[in-house]
Amino acid sequence: MVRNSCVQSLPEALLDLGVTSAAPMKRILGVTSIAKRSDVYGIWLGEDIGRGGDVFVQAAVAMRSAPNKRIGIGVTSPVVHNISTIARACAALREIDPKRFRLGLGVGGLQDLVRLAVEVRRPYKMLRETIDALRGIWNGETVTLKGERFELSKYLARYRPGFTIPLYLGVRGPALLRLAGRTADGVILSGPVRYLEKALKIVHDEATLRKSGTRPRVVFWLPTLVTRNKSDRDLARTVAATVIADTPTSVLEMAGISDTEVADVQRTAREQGYDAASGYVAEELLNSFTISGEAGQICEVFQSLAKLGADEIIFGPPYGREIFWSIRGVVRAWERL
Amino acid sequence: MKFGLGVNANEPLRDIVKKSIAAETLRMDYLWISDSPVQLYAPIVASAVASETSKIRIGLGLMSSLLYTPSQIASALTTLSDNHGSRFDLCIGVGDRRQLSRVGIRTTNIQKLPFKVLEAKRSIVSHLNDAGVRAKIWLGAQGPKMLGIANSFDGVLLNYSKPEMIEWAIKKAGLRPKPRLAIGTYSPSYVHLKSDPSVLQMAKVSSAVVALGTASPILKDFGLYEKIRKARKIADASPTLESILEAVPDDVIEAFSITMKAPNLHEYLTKLKRLGVSHVVFAYPQNYSLTTIRELARALNLNY
Repeated sequence: MVRNSCVQSLPEALLDLGVTSAAPMKRILGVTSIAKRSDVYGIWLGEDIGRGGDVFVQAAVAMRSAPNKRIGIGVTSPVVHNISTIARACAALREIDPKRFRLGLGVGGLQDLVRLAVEVRRPYKMLRETIDALRGIWNGETVTLKGERFELSKYLARYRPGFTIPLYLGVRGPALLRLAGRTADGVILSGPVRYLEKALKIVHDEATLRKSGTRPRVVFWLPTLVTRNKSDRDLARTVAATVIADTPTSVLEMAGISDTEVADVQRTAREQGYDAASGYVAEELLNSFTISGEAGQICEVFQSLAKLGADEIIFGPPYGREIFWSIRGVVRAWERL
Repeated sequence: MKFGLGVNANEPLRDIVKKSIAAETLRMDYLWISDSPVQLYAPIVASAVASETSKIRIGLGLMSSLLYTPSQIASALTTLSDNHGSRFDLCIGVGDRRQLSRVGIRTTNIQKLPFKVLEAKRSIVSHLNDAGVRAKIWLGAQGPKMLGIANSFDGVLLNYSKPEMIEWAIKKAGLRPKPRLAIGTYSPSYVHLKSDPSVLQMAKVSSAVVALGTASPILKDFGLYEKIRKARKIADASPTLESILEAVPDDVIEAFSITMKAPNLHEYLTKLKRLGVSHVVFAYPQNYSLTTIRELARALNLNY
């Protein structure tokens, strides 16, 4: 447990570290090294679609480098990998340690899908089928399924299936949140606080329909960085511009942010890039879409997020200008809470 | 000649690692980790093996250019090299079309496949160059059309074992052996000092699977076409290994594996060497147990 058990009033959330597949291997190993030596609960590896290293191999390396930590991929998408590849890569990761690996699935970021020229017409159906197919394959079933994005015909894994792997959904819109509430083992949420509140309610309401009476674990992953001066704040604005450009209308609506408030940011990001768009990120938008400040302040925000109902909160990226210094600072501040 | 051991990516990872350490200790040159839609993801297996060994070269593949994008294949190799050093070779190709069809990948326009594989190879090389990764790239091929692009690769791994078939493939495709092109073979194998009937049975199943996937021109030239055509129909109806074995006649199975007693290996390898083969991979079930791996190593030590 991250939290000191004698502090009864604090919510029981756990701190995770996040890193994405475009990060150099040295950074990933640096993150795992800090995690290994601290009370950090787990590490999540986000897949930067079409960029960076092989997220499955990176996860394998992370599992070996931090043998006392949970390792998750959060998220990958059946739009990017053949369903059989996701199934057998995760089966191989589970072989490293049957209790520590978890898989996050999502549709793919808006900008990524545009870049890949992929249109996902029915994301709910696609993810529903993906979950069913993966669980069937891992359970050792012969799977036949003609789905939205993939097809399996009398598919039977040869790698001794008969196991389960916790499935988390990294989703945003109401329909997919309901899917997470109904069937996933966990949900990874990101967005402004007002959005998170509403998203959590959808997930929890839907979870009440489960016969098992279980609820998905809730993980919050917001872009977070330690800032010390104006230059750091400028970096935070660029990060916020990147996130705003990738935020669907449904999330904005749930967050109570109007299209006009973000229109300049989204248009400029599209036409001139994120650095230029950062000039249009007002203070309020910055605080809605990123968490920034000194390490102690960040942990206070994490604490307030935990009160919303998060089981785990992920720190980073982009961490801050001095990455490992920032991570260590937040980890220490969290341990002191 | 270089000798490699095929790794069966269906086994528990800890067993694979244990056997790989044994192969390195027994001075094998290569471990080749196969990749197919029904096995564990080969790059993760390669990473596990590389983390517990230090010198042995690791071949990744065959990685199908229909199952992965060039960027995904290059990314896997780059991540492995970043973590474990420049110890990796890569083999690409189309892969088993029957397996691919089970995961929704259909190869309808067969004529264009060699072009697609070559295009993928060029893209992979470009990605690897950008990342500063150097790796030998092999083509995994069997049919004459695909072999037609082999001279554009660093090496070719032929899915044949019978010397006459290897000679046929080399001549048909105009392969130019070393120094321009390394010619290798990758076959189901069971080289033994004392035969174990259960391992022999595994060798039969594996070679039956290869036989069923063999290109029609070579089957016709060697008078095997009709037998395989009938067997494919039976296997299509039931994809279990047992039904595949029942469908393929014994003489066909023998043509697609290196199954022999250790003392006979010398003569066999001498024939391959004369043909220009410089790389021999002993694939499943040769890696079945530490005993079968040691028997192969002893056979190789006796002769080389």
